[in-house]
Amino acid sequence: MAVTMDAPSQAAPSRQGRSLHRFANPGRFLRLSKAVFPWLMACGWLITLVGLAWGFFYAPADWQQGDTSRIMYIHVPSAWLASAGYFSLAIASAVGLVWRHPLADVAAAEISPVGAGFTALCLATGSLWGKPTWGAWWVWDARLTSVLVLFFLYLGHIALVRAFDNPERGARAGAILALVGVVNLPIIKFSVDWWNTLHQPASIGLTGSPSIAASMLWPLLISVIGYTLVFAALVVARMRAAVMERRIRGLLMARATTDAATDQDAFA
Amino acid sequence: MTRKKRRLVLLLVCGLGVGSAAALTLFAFSDNLVFFVTPSDLAKNNPGTRSVRLGGLVEQGTLVRSTAGDPTARFAVTDGTARVKVTYRGLLPDLFREGQGVVALGAMQPDGTFKASEVLAKHDENYMPKEVAEALKKSGQWNPASGAAPPPASTWNTPANNPTAKTGS
Amino acid sequence: MTHFAFVATAYALGLGVPLAFTVAAMTRLRSAQRRLAAIDPRQRRGGGP
Repeated sequence: MAVTMDAPSQAAPSRQGRSLHRFANPGRFLRLSKAVFPWLMACGWLITLVGLAWGFFYAPADWQQGDTSRIMYIHVPSAWLASAGYFSLAIASAVGLVWRHPLADVAAAEISPVGAGFTALCLATGSLWGKPTWGAWWVWDARLTSVLVLFFLYLGHIALVRAFDNPERGARAGAILALVGVVNLPIIKFSVDWWNTLHQPASIGLTGSPSIAASMLWPLLISVIGYTLVFAALVVARMRAAVMERRIRGLLMARATTDAATDQDAFA
Repeated sequence: MTRKKRRLVLLLVCGLGVGSAAALTLFAFSDNLVFFVTPSDLAKNNPGTRSVRLGGLVEQGTLVRSTAGDPTARFAVTDGTARVKVTYRGLLPDLFREGQGVVALGAMQPDGTFKASEVLAKHDENYMPKEVAEALKKSGQWNPASGAAPPPASTWNTPANNPTAKTGS
Repeated sequence: MTHFAFVATAYALGLGVPLAFTVAAMTRLRSAQRRLAAIDPRQRRGGGP
């Protein structure tokens, strides 16, 4: 086992400088995130609850789907976060691979479980929406299949980063998987435009006006913002915990080696 | 070149390779990636009696439902240029109507009709409250049964639509 | 409400999944904070998290 990352006392004197540099940024992250995190979590949940309550109680029902269209206030944010979360996972992986930034490895390892959770939520709510609307729980069209592939990429990343005894090797293998999987993101986005799918094209785009009534668009935007903040807060909380856990491991290991050394001295 | 720069270039080259491999694969398999074929596709290459998914809009004025015995429906599916007559025995989804997109699983029959064993409704990307739909229909700006897209959402809250919205609710 | 069971299940999942993640993350964070405070020498100097 070589968990030297967060244990400066364990590093050889010649590598002290590099090791301290690597240690500095997680420390700064802990200080900065300590102030931001409670606000992020509180605002995220507050905005999410406002958006969902608005969508469930006050927003109008769709003229043909009826109240089933209210599922969009959960399905759309979770679908957005499934893709956006994977994009952030890819960025963290690239930074970790190229610049070997230890915090990026921590971020990648902690983003994928949250992303997998929101992708599962997207698939489940989509199924609940599809049955009454289309008449099927699931179809193998390009959109649904590519999102299922995204879910498996997340699961693969979760397993891979934790599959190695050496966490750095796990992070590197996971980063390569995450970066290869990025090709899936444009496929998800444009599947509904490139191929005939049962899933409809996007209602909201960067170009062109949305094809959704303003009275439904507002609660949708609010729940998207709320869920996004909750996602970010969850990642920050998990990263804080992970950095502390690494520090704990380092300190315990340092203590164990000094104890072993004193034991050796005692025997000598 | 520093080590970091070399890693970055390597990453970009690999990304380019993976990206173009994926693009070529998708392009080569694009015929198999479609969930359904349109009536025009059917007219171009006849699938014979092979089972296919047929997708398009239910043509206005073609839907005939019979509720005697098993519920059956006859309707035409169109994509604007070609049309196929479809027969289906079974329950239709709630959203099924004239002008709605549908995807029917089935096979062509010798008489040129399409016998469906499963019909799915395809929803479009427009979401509008009942009042707006009623107002658009009443003012003649939109006829859902025609299959045409409604006017853009930014025009839905114009004063022309509001009076009916007030009296409607 | 049309298809109430579907809508209600979706909202239950939409609140339940993020809530479960939040509870799990907070528990893990609290535990890590507590364990670190117990062994971190810098904590006593006020330099820790």
